Amino acid sequence: MMKMLEGKNVIVTGTARGIGHKMVEIFAQNGANVFAHARKETQEHKQFCEQLTVKESVQIIPVYFDLQDEDAIKDAVKSIRSTKLSIDGLVNNAGVTYNALFQMTNMDELRKQFEVNFFAPYLFTQYISKLMIRNKKGSIVNVSSSAALDGNSGKSAYGASKAALLTMTLSIAEELGASGIRANVICPGVTETDMVSTMPEYISEVQKEAAFLKKLGKTDDIANTAMYLLSDYSSYITGQVFRVDGGVTQYSKR
Amino acid sequence: MTNLEIYNNAFIECLGVTEDQLAGLKYQDVESWDSVGHMGLMAELEDAFDIMMDTDDIIDFSSYEKGKEILSSNYEIEF
Repeated sequence: MMKMLEGKNVIVTGTARGIGHKMVEIFAQNGANVFAHARKETQEHKQFCEQLTVKESVQIIPVYFDLQDEDAIKDAVKSIRSTKLSIDGLVNNAGVTYNALFQMTNMDELRKQFEVNFFAPYLFTQYISKLMIRNKKGSIVNVSSSAALDGNSGKSAYGASKAALLTMTLSIAEELGASGIRANVICPGVTETDMVSTMPEYISEVQKEAAFLKKLGKTDDIANTAMYLLSDYSSYITGQVFRVDGGVTQYSKR
Repeated sequence: MTNLEIYNNAFIECLGVTEDQLAGLKYQDVESWDSVGHMGLMAELEDAFDIMMDTDDIIDFSSYEKGKEILSSNYEIEF
């Protein structure tokens, strides 16, 4: 089997479950060593990393820090740097969601959305991109959301924070391009994860109906797209936004 | 190698300047010390001295001399 990420060292945030968890699995199966971030150290996550390390003969290195703690982010980067592994890829996947109508959106929650979904990946990427600059190569993949583009009801806070991440990615694609670093955005539609289970059921039903493919996305769909963007098969692709939504957007244009 | 030699080498390697150009050298004095060159220089210095520079220090790093001052006062690197 062709391994798309053979020998690459990548960092993925938010790997305790959902899309990030699947990314670690798929990246490992494709030969990557992965720094797998989670907010809290748990036995379950540690075992997941250990088992994958053995099964796929790669290094899956757990990294634990709170994205709302700038010092913890810095310490994590120091620990990653101390491994002396060259960093080929970064996936800013971690995020928190929040569903509330505009008039019902609490300011503390709005700040939290921006702290986790935008400020943290911004800072983390500042640090990690410096490691990439030394090697004159790297691929940054930021997981935004279709809500960043479509402005869905109830998503003013979440969508705005993910839109900020999207715009940042387009800017850094230009700034870091001269250093051989690519940056792209994935905008998943509604994807079957724990996070989606917090949404009202009718939203996922509407999304399913609206999708050309008549189903919700799976975590594999997003992970495979990220893998492509991390791989050398996308070496001339940067500053792009990839909707992975089963065609929902096209349906809405009718 | 002394810290000064390491520091000078980072400039020479990253910016393609010669040692006699270093004294008084300021950001954007030479074509290679543009924003891209600056980030490469910062990355090289971080690697060479095993430090992680704060963003404010990266912004303030406006000349060869200012850089030495920042590294001495904030990162305990003696020249």
